[in-house]
Amino acid sequence: MSCIEARSISKSYDGILAVDSIDLSVPTGKIFGFLGPNGAGKTTTIKLLTTLVPPTGGTIRILGMDAISNPLEVRKRIGVVLQQPSYEPTLSVEKSIEKYAMMWNVDKKLQKDRMEDLLLAFDLQDIRKKKNDDLSIGHRRRVQVAREFVHDMDLLFLDEPTVGLDPSARRSLLDYIKKRVREGLTIFFTTHILEEAEYLCDEIAIINKGKIIAVDTPAELKNKFGREKTIKIHIDTIRKDLSVLLQGIRDYQIDYNSGTTITIQSHSSENILLKILKILTVNKIPIEDLSVVPTSLEEIFLTMVKNSNVSSD
Amino acid sequence: MYPVIRLVNRNLTISLNMGFLIWQVVFPLIYIFVAGFAYTALIHEVPFANKRLDYPAFIASGMIGFNIMNSTLVSGIIIWNDRRHGMFEQILVGPFTRTQYILSNVYTIGIIGLISAGLITAVGYPLFFESVEFNILTIPLVVFASITGSILFGSIASIISTRLKSSEGFNVVINTVFLFFAFVSTAFYPAEGAPKILATAFYFNPLTYLVDVVRAGIFGNFNSFVGLEMLVLACGSAVLFVIATKLLSKLEL
Repeated sequence: MSCIEARSISKSYDGILAVDSIDLSVPTGKIFGFLGPNGAGKTTTIKLLTTLVPPTGGTIRILGMDAISNPLEVRKRIGVVLQQPSYEPTLSVEKSIEKYAMMWNVDKKLQKDRMEDLLLAFDLQDIRKKKNDDLSIGHRRRVQVAREFVHDMDLLFLDEPTVGLDPSARRSLLDYIKKRVREGLTIFFTTHILEEAEYLCDEIAIINKGKIIAVDTPAELKNKFGREKTIKIHIDTIRKDLSVLLQGIRDYQIDYNSGTTITIQSHSSENILLKILKILTVNKIPIEDLSVVPTSLEEIFLTMVKNSNVSSD
Repeated sequence: MYPVIRLVNRNLTISLNMGFLIWQVVFPLIYIFVAGFAYTALIHEVPFANKRLDYPAFIASGMIGFNIMNSTLVSGIIIWNDRRHGMFEQILVGPFTRTQYILSNVYTIGIIGLISAGLITAVGYPLFFESVEFNILTIPLVVFASITGSILFGSIASIISTRLKSSEGFNVVINTVFLFFAFVSTAFYPAEGAPKILATAFYFNPLTYLVDVVRAGIFGNFNSFVGLEMLVLACGSAVLFVIATKLLSKLEL
């Protein structure tokens, strides 16, 4: 069953189309990654899905409810960590979690238990008495994310939740998210850090200029769009004659940096490798190292956004 | 708990801090006990209706309205801080509607206004108890003035907070407007005897109406002019509240 079903949703501001007739289907109990460059329409999409702004066109169903005609009922069952910071400057960390729980009408006894769990899970115990105004950006972000888990929800929107977090806090948060998803929560997650999406997400949609340009699992995206492999051959001496020897071979480049490195980047990297190896063997050039660089989601993302920009131009 | 009550609870928690209490209590006390007695050498008596009040009694009763006005700054500050610190959007993606958010601000300023009025009445009572004429008719006047005055000034502060984008702008505008309200009013001096232009300017200021109705309540002086002032206060607060609500509803997210 789908947690989010959006059909042909659009949003324009002053005649500028920020979201252009996109479809989204997010399965229940999964982590759905939503990636895109700055200004691609990620935050506007989140605002539409969380009922913060109405769409110009299209239909949105969240948790089986019509989000356009029933926004309050939808909001009662979702959690949202917005991209921008949100905090009460005069309240301490524990007071702001406590008040947030009160705002969500969480039972008093449950409030205390959950707060202690969250302070522990997000490593906030040492700063629990500090005022939000006195916290670092990273700590404030941690409080903002932790606070959202204090209330019951079926679906959580996280708009770049790891911005400002150090690597250790980031990993703790991602693992905490995974734990909550195992318990049944559905997550809609946007990020700029593609390793995070790769680590966390079951499915990923890439948006550019308000349009969805790909939706699939990270593995399938790599499979479909990441066939271009990178192979590096390192020779420990500087061989300026290599470019002459490799004449006629395409899709490689040579760098001279503590020896010679040949980098092959092509859909048929293996064939090119064989040709180059043959030439090196014939010319008795010894290879010091040979490595295959796996395709990352980042490369796919950059390629797809670049291709999408070229085609739309 | 109802959503509006939960929001009021939150508003009161974030607003009632030491700084605010000092602002609410210490400043009026300085006006009442320092300015009030210091000016007694210059102003022996102030004519009020058919009575003659000593200046400390006059200023203490004026401080009730002044304090209600100051306390309603909270409304503007809550909205301003919520916008500035991202809580406005955060609340609106939570289990609340804009109407509930607006209502919670009204209730908050109403509560703070009444408490402020009560506080200054208690503090100022020793100064004006000789002239006090509380009765069943006049006490509701003070309550009426406290509530409508809170809504009126709260709406003005809300309007300012929705229109401005920088902290500096907000502080400059709110301080300038409220400084005008405070000193071009009958809170500190009577309109009678003031130069005509100034006396007229007093009546372009809602604080004058608020202070006059509060004084009428305390000193038991209800007449047709006070009735008219109550009407102006009620209409002014209703109109400004509608404008503030409209602006807040249209605030882009």
